[in-house]
Amino acid sequence: MASKTQTKDIITIKGSAAIVSEFFSYAANRIPFASSILYNRGVYPEESFTKVKKYGLPMLLTQDEGVKSFLANLTSQLSQWLEAGKLQRVVLVIMSKLTSEVLERWNFNIETDAEVVEQGVSREKSDKEIMREIQVIMRQIASCVTYLPCLDDPCVFDVLAYTDMDVAVPFTWIESDAKLIKNPQMVKLHSFDTKIHKVDTLVSYKNDEWDEQ
Amino acid sequence: MILRTPPVQRKRRASSALDHESPVSDRRLVVYEDPAPVASHDHSDQLVCTYQCRQMLGVEIGQGTGMDSAFPVKSEVMDALSLAEKQVIDYQSRVETLEQNLTRSEEERKRFKDHLDFVEQELAASKGREQALQQQLLKEVTEFQERFKNQVKHSSELEVQLRKEADLRRCAESSATAAKDKVLELEKKARHILESSEREKKHLQKEISYFQDEGKLSCSRISAELERMKMKADNAMKESELLKKQMEEVREQLNEEAEVREARKLKSLHANTELLKEKLLEEKGRREKAEAEIITLEEVQMNAEKLENELKIWKSLVNMIPGVLCFDDIPQKFASLQKEAIDSTLKVGEVTAQLKELEIALESENLCRQQAETQFALAKEKAEDLVLEVKRLKLMLILLALNLTPNYFDGYAKPVESAVVGAVTEERDRLSKHAVTPNKLRIVDTEGATVNASLLRELESSLAAKEEIIKAFESDLHKQGEIINRQHDELKVLNENLNNEARRIKSLERESDRLRAEISLLESKLGHGDYSTESTKVLRMVNTLNIDNETKHTIEALRSELEKAKAKLQAIEELKGQSEAGNLIDAQISDKLAQLKGQIATLEKREERYKAVFAEKISVFRRACCSLFGYKIVMDDQQRPNGIPVTRFTLQSIYAQSDDEKLDFEYESGNTNILVNGYTSQPEISHQVEIFISKMNSIPAFTANLTMESFNKRTLS
Repeated sequence: MASKTQTKDIITIKGSAAIVSEFFSYAANRIPFASSILYNRGVYPEESFTKVKKYGLPMLLTQDEGVKSFLANLTSQLSQWLEAGKLQRVVLVIMSKLTSEVLERWNFNIETDAEVVEQGVSREKSDKEIMREIQVIMRQIASCVTYLPCLDDPCVFDVLAYTDMDVAVPFTWIESDAKLIKNPQMVKLHSFDTKIHKVDTLVSYKNDEWDEQ
Repeated sequence: MILRTPPVQRKRRASSALDHESPVSDRRLVVYEDPAPVASHDHSDQLVCTYQCRQMLGVEIGQGTGMDSAFPVKSEVMDALSLAEKQVIDYQSRVETLEQNLTRSEEERKRFKDHLDFVEQELAASKGREQALQQQLLKEVTEFQERFKNQVKHSSELEVQLRKEADLRRCAESSATAAKDKVLELEKKARHILESSEREKKHLQKEISYFQDEGKLSCSRISAELERMKMKADNAMKESELLKKQMEEVREQLNEEAEVREARKLKSLHANTELLKEKLLEEKGRREKAEAEIITLEEVQMNAEKLENELKIWKSLVNMIPGVLCFDDIPQKFASLQKEAIDSTLKVGEVTAQLKELEIALESENLCRQQAETQFALAKEKAEDLVLEVKRLKLMLILLALNLTPNYFDGYAKPVESAVVGAVTEERDRLSKHAVTPNKLRIVDTEGATVNASLLRELESSLAAKEEIIKAFESDLHKQGEIINRQHDELKVLNENLNNEARRIKSLERESDRLRAEISLLESKLGHGDYSTESTKVLRMVNTLNIDNETKHTIEALRSELEKAKAKLQAIEELKGQSEAGNLIDAQISDKLAQLKGQIATLEKREERYKAVFAEKISVFRRACCSLFGYKIVMDDQQRPNGIPVTRFTLQSIYAQSDDEKLDFEYESGNTNILVNGYTSQPEISHQVEIFISKMNSIPAFTANLTMESFNKRTLS
């Protein structure tokens, strides 16, 4: 009986940072659909999305230049912080446009291997394995639509980054509060590990009024 | 049944004895019985004697006739008669005395007979008692023998149990040696663990010192920054004060217009000072935050130390448990330890039950032995009492025999004495015989007593042997009891260790539950989004989707700042030119001016960059839209009177033949509406507007249709 042995790929910190930041950008594209948020009506109609295949799954990517530039700036900054080992957490916050109340928090907790950051060593792990783990998370994000409360009101996104204290604040970032939800419901999703960066996913959302009743 | 009263044989014996005695007693007086009684002598009864005398016949006959020839013979005879009469009287008196003596002797004989009967009765009773005692003794002996047999059995059983206990003791000793070996191993492991814990402690202490140093460094940095900011603020305040002074001096020197300009400058300077004050306040706030963070750092260090100690204890406890390599093995090890503890407690309970049973058996055996000893002592006393009674009876008999024999040889006459002696001798013989028979009986009794004594000696010897055996067993049992007590102590120690281990296990379980609760709490906190302000800061990405407006605002703000700074510069340059004195102030102002100029330059550069970037983007977008859709789009933000922002789009087709052919649209919160102008009021265009926009509600269709028509017109033309 032949045994399948996955060939392991060498992963550096730059490569791992790129994988993780790319994951964030695709997750940011997928999360609105999971939250059944309608993009700002008329600004981001459904026609402005293109279908691509990523992580073995069909993914809808926005073609809006503003959103794309936003995500590009985001991923570039996150990858910088990831390479420096300064990024602890990334949170995608969904708030009501009218009341600025936080409705959902998509929490991506990051654990960095300090030895890799300090000494610059590399690790070995199969790319396929990493992609498979990310695929699982993407499926779970999509399945969250079954239990997340429906958000009919216009909503806005906000991206929070939990960094070390000695990180210099870039021009496009400002210090902020954590934008927490009072008495949230929490659902823990799967995690993926590149052997350098381990990302845990958790979604916390405000209890629906119907559920509270 | 012992007969107190003798049988009738005694009376018969007495009557025969009397009959036998009468001839012996009457040996001295012969009783003559006249076969033919003399009738003629009836009238002379007074003279009738039993002894027939022929001579006396003549005398009697002569008395009647008065014959003298016979009188000389009569006087002699009379003398003889008188003599004889006297003798007779004497003899009668003697006979009476003898009869009295006889009666006395008979009475005495009766008395002695009664006494003999009593003694015989007593002898029979004593014999019966002896027999009963012998039977009792035999029964007791048999009982003692049975008890001895049972004791022998018990002793054999105890020996077997002793052997078992000895085996158990050996097993316990072996387990104790194994436990000692385990203890030694555990001690070695504990030493290793202590060494490893000390190393970890040192490592943690190094890390703590490192963190402390880092904290101190950060504190020092923060304090240095605070001081710098303070210095800056102080300098700014001094500069502001100096500027104020300058302004006041300049005011005095210049005109009203200059005063107005100076007022404006002062206002700007005030605004700068206010900005600087705000910055000061911010820095103060940061300093307070830093101080608070320092305090929290210390608290966290304390908590870290506590956690370290708890972790050490936890690790030491985990590593002390043999067979545990990680936290997951702990529950299994706890289960196995609990099972072992339960098994050992069961064994201990069984051993204690067996020990208790042995002790109870020992106590019962001791009680039986004590009872047998008491009964043996009682039997001994009874036998001694019986022997004493027999001796006493023997002495009494001897005394009786001695009292009876002298009375019969004193005070009897010969002829009657012979008969009396013969009777007395006959009585003495009878008494001696009676004395002999009790003696014979005594001999038999003494023989029985000797037999009893020999039996008692044998029993005593066997009892002594058994007692020695029992003593040996007792000594063995005492030793075994000591061994058992030692084992009890060891078992108690093991039980205490087991209880301690159980307590440790419970404490470890509580620690694990607490740690699980902490882990769940931390996970919930993580999910909730809590973070430590000492090590983490939250940054928010500015939404570049709205960056156009914000950049415009920032550009306008920067422009206003630039204008203000430029005005300030001009005013200062004018002041410089006008004022002669104040070279020092100029130098300070020039430094500040240089800083401000630098800031202005950077801001201008940024503005230019933004402008360039946006210009590029906007031009690219506009060109692309124009090429794709065929319309040049001009966007203009306006505001309605009610304050609602509105965006106006002006579209001009590339195929337009004149500049008047423009379409105006108004965009507000996602809704786009066409505006009426000169071009759309044309009938053709208005007709299309009605169809595509009003009816079909599709602006792209309208614009596409318009583009096609324009294209057709162009190409045709």
